[in-house]
Parts: sequence; structure tokens; C-alpha cells
Amino acid sequence: MGQQISSALRQSMDRVVIMLARFLPGLLAFFVALAVLWLIGWGLSALLRKLLTSVRFDERVARKEDPGSPANLADWSPSNSPTLLISRTVFWACILAGIAVGISAFNASYSATPEISLFLLPYLTHATGAILLLLIGTLLARFLSRSVLIGAVNAQLHYARFLSLGVKWLVLVLAAAMALDHLQIGGTIVALAFGILFGGIVLTLALAIGLGSRDLVSRSIEKTIEKPTGAKPADVSSINEATETPRPKLRHF
Amino acid sequence: MSSLPMAEVSETVDMPRVQAASRPPTLVCMPAITADALHTVIDRLVTALPYGDILIASPDAPPDSHIDSPHDGQTVRTVPYPPQPVHAGWLLTAADYLAAANLAREHNASTTLLLGPEAASLSAEALHALCATVIQGADLALPRYNIGPHEGLVNAALLYPLSRALYGVESRMPLTLDAAFSARMANRFSVVARKPVSAGGDPMLWPAAEAAVASFTMREVAVGERVLPHPEASDLNSLLARIAGSLFSDVEAKAAFWQRARNVTPPVVAPPAAGQANPASSEDMEEVTSMSESFRNAYTNLQEIWSLVVPPQSLLALKKLSLMSPEAFMMSPNLWARTVYDFMLAHRLRTINRGHLLGAFTPLYLAWVGSHIRRADGDPAAAEQHIQETAAAFIAERPYVLGRWRWPDRFNP
Repeated sequence: MGQQISSALRQSMDRVVIMLARFLPGLLAFFVALAVLWLIGWGLSALLRKLLTSVRFDERVARKEDPGSPANLADWSPSNSPTLLISRTVFWACILAGIAVGISAFNASYSATPEISLFLLPYLTHATGAILLLLIGTLLARFLSRSVLIGAVNAQLHYARFLSLGVKWLVLVLAAAMALDHLQIGGTIVALAFGILFGGIVLTLALAIGLGSRDLVSRSIEKTIEKPTGAKPADVSSINEATETPRPKLRHF
Repeated sequence: MSSLPMAEVSETVDMPRVQAASRPPTLVCMPAITADALHTVIDRLVTALPYGDILIASPDAPPDSHIDSPHDGQTVRTVPYPPQPVHAGWLLTAADYLAAANLAREHNASTTLLLGPEAASLSAEALHALCATVIQGADLALPRYNIGPHEGLVNAALLYPLSRALYGVESRMPLTLDAAFSARMANRFSVVARKPVSAGGDPMLWPAAEAAVASFTMREVAVGERVLPHPEASDLNSLLARIAGSLFSDVEAKAAFWQRARNVTPPVVAPPAAGQANPASSEDMEEVTSMSESFRNAYTNLQEIWSLVVPPQSLLALKKLSLMSPEAFMMSPNLWARTVYDFMLAHRLRTINRGHLLGAFTPLYLAWVGSHIRRADGDPAAAEQHIQETAAAFIAERPYVLGRWRWPDRFNP
């Protein structure tokens, strides 16, 4: 009896030691792959940075961009430098490639069948995709909420902040739902919850705008009806006549 | 429109002073003029420029056609206008300056007169004064129109004070509608405008700043009344963003020039009359009330964005302004000058998205406009005094922008 127990324990110990012996090289291979790709990424990004700086890439991009456009590369770049954006993208692409190679190497040394890698790699890419979706969603939400806030304030709407918050949460909810869907978490519950939340926000905004802008809309309709058909350009200009008559006519330009 | 005394601005050149002589032709470019207005302008040009040959270039003028001149030996003819995209309409762009400069070089013109839309409203005396100023030795002649106290507000609030403080140019209308320039100024425009025009878009060019940077002589000429063209369908926010964005980019490009120590003469500002309370008229007061309410709304909502751009003491001053009653609503010229400088710096540093930055600038500009209306109260003299006070404040705050520009992180006034 004692011998059997001892034998069972020894065998189990052996199995664990063998497993560890297989696991450690795999882990080491993972870190080596990561370190090598990190080095390659660092070298490539440094080379790119130097190359782009020498050809004055940032200045060239800035010259070609329209200052007021929201699609400016510089505005979306860290420290407003497209060079930095490109070099960092290359660096992180190498790191991601290193993780993928490391997992594959780890799995190859750990098990004869690539089951873990088959499971881990797609999940890793899904997770990366979901993180990217969340990141882009957050950036877009911030950008759009500011755009709406400024636009609404300049249109002299008193509920500008409310409108901006509504837009921000719309985009955030959309991004979160897309990320969860991408990760295949929650299934139909996410879709249902998203539909309810999104619909709720849109309905709230519509009610707020509809009720808040009642006077504005009626005034606008009245103006449209009263406006003569053959109005001169000077009459329809809203820039230089900032206010309605009989106030003093302002000419900004 | 109310009138400003022309003699206070600049000496108007009398027509007989410039003698007819054998000299290179004068080129007149009109990129944005209607066919009907073209004939009026040509008639006035023939009257206004009795000396030398006149070459007229316009997309609407049939090329190489001769026009009868009442002056002996004078040839007036049209020349082909270079093909270019449809003109923006209400404003001279870099493409217009480039086209005019190229034509001037091609025809060896000594003087070029570039006329904007609605140029038919310019008198023959005005056309003569612009050209004569260049013939007499100036490299650039910019017009000063007679405008009312509620007109040309962007020029008064932003373009004139900033150009004067940074470049030392005394042009009340840097965003000019017409300009006359010499051959070497044309060459300068050609060099400066070529790159942005070839890059596409519809870039602007700031002639007064270019003349200052090149150390060319610039003179302002009083030209009297002129119909100011209306910007085409667009809103104030996008137009102001375009103009201010272009100006801030130009200031950034010329930083090496204006950062050098320069003696900029502040304008002479008459002290306000004793007990000056400026009780604004009811119409003006209604406008100021509306603007102060809009500013209060803007402060409530945009405070977070403004705090990224302006330092705390300016933010506090803006808060105080937002709490003022319409009767007391007045943005001090120094606060306005510092705010403009802060936005200029944020534009350079890209503190926030440039579109957002310039959008958040509009309510501040309208606060200045509200203050201006209240201060002017329809009186051209009071309006002029406020504009000169604003210009003086921009000059007084020059050390502030120099410090922040050089050490944006370290400098904390």
C-alpha cells in the first residue's frame, strides 16, 4: 500500500517535473522571441524616425494639410508629430508580432499539438482588435463631443453641453458594444442592451432638441415662408449681418 | 456708410503730380469681376492712369483687344489671363497674387494693380492714388476704405492690431481687397505664393506681412468709399477659422522675423473724455445684451477648452466678463490681446485640434465685438479710439507673446 502511494507520488512528481522541463524552455522561447522582435522594432523605429526627420516629413505633411480640417494627420499624432506616429506604429507592430511568434514558439515546445496556439492566437488578435476599437471609439467620442459642443455654443444653443455629452456616450456605447461583439462576449445580450441604450440616448436627444428648439424651428419656418424668392446675395448673407433688423448691421469682413 | 477724414490717414496723391512719360506698362489684374463691372473699371482706369501703357487682365476680358484711349500715345489693351481654378469670390487669394506676379514678369510691368470683387465701386482717384504711390517709390500700396464703426470688424479686432504689433505695419486692412505693387514686390509674391498654390487648396497671402519681412516699403492710401463684397454662403465660424488660421500659420512661419527686437510705435490714443459713460442706443444695447448672454453661455460650456489655452488669470478675467451686466459689458483691450496671443501660441503648439481651437475662439471674438459696439455707440471717432486702444494693447503685450513663444512650458506669467 505504502509502496503504491509512494510510486503514485513519484510518478506524479516526475510528470510535473517533465511538464516544467517542457514549459520553461517554451517560456524562455517566448521571452527570447519578444526580446528579439522588441530589438528589431526599436531599431526599425529609430531608423524610421531618423530618416523621416532628415527629410522633414512633419513639415511636409503640415504644409499639405488644411489647418481647419479634422482629418489632419498631425492632430491625431502623439506630440502632433506624424514621424512619431509612424515610428511608434512600427514599434508596436513588431511587439505584437513578437508576442505572436513567442506564443507559437511556446506552444511548439510545450505540446505536440498546437491546440493552445490555435486558441490563444485568434483570441489575442480579437483582444487586440477590441482594444483598438475601444481606443478609436474613445478618441472619436472625445473629438465629436468637442466638435458638437463648440458648434452648439457658436449656434447659441443653451443645451450645448447636454448635446455634447449625448454624442459622447452614443459613440462610447457603440464602441463598447462593438468591442464586446468582437470578443464574442455576451452574445445577444450585448446586442439587446446596446439597442436599448442607443435607442434611449437617441430618443432623449431627439426629445431634448425637439422641445428645446421649438421656437427656433418655428421662427426658421416663418422666415422661410416670408422670404422673397428672388432675394439678393446681400440679403441672405448671414455672415455680415450678424443679427436681424432693426439692430445695427455688423460687418465682420 | 460713414466717412473718415482721408487726410488723417494718408496723403491722397493728386492726379496731375505724376507726369506722363515713357515707362513700362501698368498691369491691372481683375480675377473676380463681372463682365458689366469690367467696362466701368476700364473707363475709370483710362481716366485715372494717363501715363504709360495699360495692360488689363481678367478672365472675363477678351484677350488681345485694344481699347481707345483719349491720351496721346497711350496703348490700352487686354492680355490673356492665365487659366486657374474658379475664384473664391470675395477675397484675393495666393493664386490671384501668383497669377498677377507671373503676368507682371511676362509683360515687364513696373506697377501691378490687383483689384478684388466689386472693384467697380472704386473711384478713378482711388485707382490713380494706388498706382501713383507705387510709381513714386513704394513697393506696396494698400487701400484704406471709408467704413462705418460696425464694419470691417475682423480687421479691427484681430488683423490690424496683430500685424501692427508683430510686423510694425500700419495697415488698417491687412485682409485687403485691392493692392498695387512694384515689380520686386511681385517677384516676392511669386516666390511666396508658388508653393502653397501648387500644394492645392485655396491658400491666402498676407501682403503687408510679406512687405515687412522683405523690408520693402509699404504705404497705406485713403481711397474713400468702396462696396465691400459679401462672403459667399458660409457661417462666421468657418470664415473666422479660415482667416485666423491662415494668419496664425503665417505668424508662425515668420516667427524668426518678428521675434527680433523691433521698435514698434504704439498708436497715439486720445484719453477718454471725462465722465465718458457711453450710454449706448437702444438698438446697440439690444445687440450688446444678446452678445453678453451668448458669451455667458459660451463661458459656461467652453470653460474646459479655454482652460487648456489661456492661463488662469485670463480665465478668471473671462469669468468676470461673463458675469458682467450688458450695461457694463466690456472686454479690456489687454485681455483681448493676451487671449489672441494665447490662441496663437496654442495654434502653434497644437494644444488641441486646430479646428476646435479656432471654433472656441469665435465667442471670444464676439465678446470683443460686443465691447466695441458698446464703446463705439455708432460714433466713428469712438470706434476708432477703441480700435487704436486695442492696437496699443497688442503692442504693450508683445513681451508676453515673445516670452510664451520662446518658453511655452517654462513661462508662467
